[in-house]
Amino acid sequence: MDDRFLNSLKRDPAPAFARQLKSRLHALEAPAVAEPRSPMWRWLATAASIAVLAFAFTLPAVRSAAEAFLDYFRVVNFAGVAFDPQRMAQLWSSSSVDLSTLIGEQVTPAAPPPPPVAYSTIEEASAAAGMTLHTPTWLPQGFTLTSIEVGGEHEFSVQGNTEKLQSVLDALGITDVTVPTALDGQTVSIKISPVAKLVYDDGQHQITLTQSRSPVIALPAGVDIASLADIGLRLLGLDRAEAYRFAQTIDWRSTLLVPVPAVTATFHQVEVGSGTGLVIENGRQVGPPGPVGSLVLWSNADTVYALGGLVRSTDTLQMAQSVQ
Amino acid sequence: MTLETDLPAEFLSQSATVAPDWDAVYAEQLPRVYNFFRYRLRDDAVAEDLTAATFEKAWRSRDSYRRDLAGFATWLLAIARNVATDHLRARRVHAPLEEAEEVRAPGSPEEDSARSSDGERLRTLLARLPDRERELIALKYGAGATNRAIAKLTGLSESNVGTIVHRVVETLRRDW
Repeated sequence: MDDRFLNSLKRDPAPAFARQLKSRLHALEAPAVAEPRSPMWRWLATAASIAVLAFAFTLPAVRSAAEAFLDYFRVVNFAGVAFDPQRMAQLWSSSSVDLSTLIGEQVTPAAPPPPPVAYSTIEEASAAAGMTLHTPTWLPQGFTLTSIEVGGEHEFSVQGNTEKLQSVLDALGITDVTVPTALDGQTVSIKISPVAKLVYDDGQHQITLTQSRSPVIALPAGVDIASLADIGLRLLGLDRAEAYRFAQTIDWRSTLLVPVPAVTATFHQVEVGSGTGLVIENGRQVGPPGPVGSLVLWSNADTVYALGGLVRSTDTLQMAQSVQ
Repeated sequence: MTLETDLPAEFLSQSATVAPDWDAVYAEQLPRVYNFFRYRLRDDAVAEDLTAATFEKAWRSRDSYRRDLAGFATWLLAIARNVATDHLRARRVHAPLEEAEEVRAPGSPEEDSARSSDGERLRTLLARLPDRERELIALKYGAGATNRAIAKLTGLSESNVGTIVHRVVETLRRDW
């Protein structure tokens, strides 16, 4: 097949254009400093970590020991709960609590998970993740997919330590809750499936779509998990009656509690696909307006999604609803 | 030279933790991306703008791309495709008349008189193609991508890419 005529449109870029573009690229700062992380962005980025911390205190109720030795938790629903960031500040500044070792010293293995690997296509990333990755069919104007990464599967376990948990309650002045002694020395194992991260960029901001199979938490039967959930809610700032009401309306076996800073952010439930999701936006500002940021969390068919960035929730929600 | 195998050997041998020579990568890939847009769109100035936008996006995200520099060209073209899609979508919204201009009937007198060079003749023929076929030709002949790389980028099977490209080339040659 003679197709030489199809090369007739090829041209080298104008040297002046090539030079100018190269200069512009060199003038761009590295990604880490090109977009300074605002407090809101830092919060969005650590939301998952906070949620994991919430896991530790909001584990599902166990079935009877006669039924099974282990009980399992999978994320199906998300529930927001407002917390007062000042309580966390109070905890951090407490001289009686070393918050950095509260969980860390009980985690095995302590080594971080392997770094994520970049891929050039969704298909390659799907193969690496062992699942079909889904992408939005709608993007805000100017955004394009610029990065695909998959983090490897990893597993770790957390060992209960009643003494440390009691010290946290004491530091916050919560005196009407008792940590169940049966928790001490008990091991909870957490399995994280491969996590895929797609980054969309418009040259100024990024929107990140994260998707993974639901993490699976296996815990020994016999621990009074319901009271742990109550402790978790109290730590987040709910009073005794609120914590009780919350605990009664949530299916702890399948609901991930997401703490939302009450002063700077709002949240509400939305319909995403065939399920219910949670939208969080920094829409309630005190003082000067801060940067816009939003996060949508939802699950579908055993896959958990988080989509967030420094854009309004109308954009992230529309993107989320277009994910196929 | 094929898209996935023609990066300089020194890039291919670098480990994931060694910083690549981005200047050399730039020199290698700039013509491909630029010509992808020349084949994909009508306007050379727009091709330069979108090439710049593609490299700026890739440059900002370059630290996230460490795994496999042999696949870097494909990753870059994936960004270019998205940039082109955004541009075309915006133009359809904001400049429907320009769009109509691009797909006017073949063989009109002003077309024949204005586009005498081979390059312009080809550009006119490409403008008549359906969007997907024009993109495949832009990837194949503008960017120099292999059928395998195009399949990865578009989600089509490699054999399907080959079949479509062959059919489009036959059509273009008949009208040439």
